[in-house]
Amino acid sequence: MIAPRRTARLSIRPRPEEGSRLQPLALLLPALIPSWNFFDVIAPSPRIEYALTASAAVPKEGWTEFRPRPQRVSARSLLGRLVWNPRWNETLFLVSCAERLINAPTDHSQDEIFTRLAAELADAPTGDWLSFRLVFVSREGEAIQREVLFQSAPRRLAGIGVP
Amino acid sequence: MTLESAARLTEALLALALIQQSLEHLHGPRADRPLFLARIALCGLVLVGAASPWPWVGLVGLVGLAGLSLLILRRYQGPYNGGSDRMGLLALWCLSLSRLAPTPALAELAFGYLGLQLMLSYFISGWVKVVNPDWRDGRALADVFRFSAYPVSENLRRLADRPRLLLVMSWAVMLFELAFPLSLLSRESLIAGLVIAGTFHLANACLFGLNRFFWTWLSVYPAILWLQARVV
Repeated sequence: MIAPRRTARLSIRPRPEEGSRLQPLALLLPALIPSWNFFDVIAPSPRIEYALTASAAVPKEGWTEFRPRPQRVSARSLLGRLVWNPRWNETLFLVSCAERLINAPTDHSQDEIFTRLAAELADAPTGDWLSFRLVFVSREGEAIQREVLFQSAPRRLAGIGVP
Repeated sequence: MTLESAARLTEALLALALIQQSLEHLHGPRADRPLFLARIALCGLVLVGAASPWPWVGLVGLVGLAGLSLLILRRYQGPYNGGSDRMGLLALWCLSLSRLAPTPALAELAFGYLGLQLMLSYFISGWVKVVNPDWRDGRALADVFRFSAYPVSENLRRLADRPRLLLVMSWAVMLFELAFPLSLLSRESLIAGLVIAGTFHLANACLFGLNRFFWTWLSVYPAILWLQARVV
């Protein structure tokens, strides 16, 4: 059962004081002294949805899920992905960016999502302005909840540098 | 297995795992490619060092990879793929420190730390699950399949509707992870434990697309095989 969507803790952009970048040694430390708490709790899970619009107005509808999962994956593909899985690993990186945008917002996370979206939507037939939002899916009791926790300000698609 | 042979094998396997990851990155943004082309070249040095009588070649590669890892961490503001990248970083830095250690005892300490962390990666993962009631009744694993970002297809999400199977799977995972330290009691039991662990990572790679975990964890197995022989 999918519960009605709710919007809460919505922010348009990271707060400036939270935009600083972490230094490499601070990032290395958790690898040298790891916690290994894989899947200790099943946290709300982000989905990235995007909207292409003709104007810079914040879109209220027309959201599309970015890279929805296929219905099925063949056994051959599963085995092949053992050695070649760049698209899926990029998708998991974007999941990390989405989680970071909620837990420790930075411009970096938002920029990464924008550039990867823009790269994929470069040939999109309609819309000059790109926005994305983060829908977090979780279970409350027996119901599945979907909650929008972040929505970006629109950016001109042509102005997003695709590295 | 001597420290030298175990370290060389770990270095070679880690280099191959990092090459696999780097090739995937070459498929990504063009601006990132120099980082990963450099990583492939340095992995080549590590492979040459592991297979030749000139260990200094491998040391150059390892130290270069360790330095490059800081640039890659900065580029992505953390690991690109969470736990698998963290294990790769841990292995890389432990191998580098072991090679650079001024005494054999310190070299053993650095390499042994890697083996110890591999054991802890299973045991702590089991512990944090078993203390969670949602894991004990199978509900947490159902949540993984029902709404987490990991299942690779929508069909896999149907497993969330099989509570008995998920309960058995949950306890199988928890018991294996918690019991893993006992496998260190003998070489035979450790090999059996590592075969089960490898199968577990293979299943995670197929169900959740975590191929990097599979190759990275496998690359560290020689470290725990050496540690078991050294300690027990």
